[in-house]
Amino acid sequence: MKRQAYGRDVGLSLRMTLTMFLLGLLYVGFALVLFYALHTSLVVLVLIVVGLAFFQYYTSDKLALKAAGARVVTPEEAPQLHATVERLAAMANIQKPRVAIIDSDIPNAFATGRNQKHSVVAVYRGLLDRLDENEVEGVLAHELTHIVNRDVLVMTLASTFAMLAALITRFGLYAGFFGGFGGGNNRDNNNGVPVWLVIVVVAFVTYIVSWVLIRTISRYREYAADRGSAVITGAPEYLMSALQKITGQMAVIPQKDLREVQALNAFFIIPARFKGSISELFMDHPPLEKRLAALEKIAQEMGRPVS
Amino acid sequence: MGLRDVLLGRKKLQAPAGERLFAISTARITLATELDLKPAGSAGVCFKSLSSGEFVRAENDLQELLDAVAAETASKVERKSDNLGFEWLVVRDQDFEDLVATVHTVAQELEDRGFGEQLLAALFPFEGKFKEGRVYWIYGFKQGAFWPFVPTGKGQERDNAAELELKAKLEPELPIEGDLTRWFGLFDAPV
Repeated sequence: MKRQAYGRDVGLSLRMTLTMFLLGLLYVGFALVLFYALHTSLVVLVLIVVGLAFFQYYTSDKLALKAAGARVVTPEEAPQLHATVERLAAMANIQKPRVAIIDSDIPNAFATGRNQKHSVVAVYRGLLDRLDENEVEGVLAHELTHIVNRDVLVMTLASTFAMLAALITRFGLYAGFFGGFGGGNNRDNNNGVPVWLVIVVVAFVTYIVSWVLIRTISRYREYAADRGSAVITGAPEYLMSALQKITGQMAVIPQKDLREVQALNAFFIIPARFKGSISELFMDHPPLEKRLAALEKIAQEMGRPVS
Repeated sequence: MGLRDVLLGRKKLQAPAGERLFAISTARITLATELDLKPAGSAGVCFKSLSSGEFVRAENDLQELLDAVAAETASKVERKSDNLGFEWLVVRDQDFEDLVATVHTVAQELEDRGFGEQLLAALFPFEGKFKEGRVYWIYGFKQGAFWPFVPTGKGQERDNAAELELKAKLEPELPIEGDLTRWFGLFDAPV
């Protein structure tokens, strides 16, 4: 999964493999139960979910860019950003992704796209405003590693069955009130437990457990991307200092002037805030201290300890 | 806001909390001993200028205010306006306690003359080895709390790390705005 060239962390690889194995096992069990209780309404649901997941995967770049309000920029519009991405892509040995900018004060960035050819790196204006050149490079290298590691594919695969389980849980509960799947025709088994109830319970358990496992995988992939950033830039401290600036407390200190806000906003006691969106975006990421500690370890491995 | 205000959707504009302003007088000692920061000898009170209809009355009121303050204290007070259309009353006094007291008086006088709602903030500059250039404490009259402000001098850029350090150091003795999303700066103030 992770290329050797991007530096290996045996422990991390093991944990990631184990988590993925558990998730796979869970999904196989879930699939077996669904297969056992095969019913037309279930087949329809499965088709819908798989179709949705495929659509999401296939259009991931367009969807994410639209949702974030990102604008793809040309090298003329953002020469420095393009130059950095080009250099980093060359070092990571991938095709240069498209570059997009989002006009927002949030200091963040993301990468998306189903493969290298369709990949995009999107950067929020707030990131460029708050970070210096080296720190931006660290963040971009982190995002490029997501592309190298095919994270969109991995996460789509990992969450498809969770989506299905969530849908079945929800529909199952509604259906249960109205007499189960197919109007209660399945109630002809002898032990008295309706089949729909079994399916709903299994789906619910699958949903909960997979949710935890997917979060875990997502965090592992962040560590992997952090490591990738350190290896591509050759300087873990770039990303470390960027992380300190963009996560945690500093990210919420506004950049606007009090008078500007007052002029725009009559109720300046309740100023425009963007705290919520930040915590949301960082939800699937490991805590800052752990990421910094991991990066520090990498710095030591690379023989350039960070104070 | 009480429960009944929430239920009935009443949101009163908060009255300016002037009294907590005096906390900066004692915080000065910590700033000097722990961070080697000394008051710059001036402070500013920022308020919104009025609509033209009330302008003449306001002009007279402000002149009266300046006279009243001059009679009450030994600090020098002058009027300035900035390029964002806000008015400043800049107080100068080498004695920090007098400076804070005059800022309080100025705020009080503004309030008494009906400018209370337009009162935006007070700005206290400090200088010293902690940081090249000035370090500011901003007092929000509406919130009744202080927050640090350290511009780097390059456009609208600020040194967030230094600001958080100031917060950590002064937290025990200064009422500091806990919601960091409200730490708005005051760039290029005429103070």
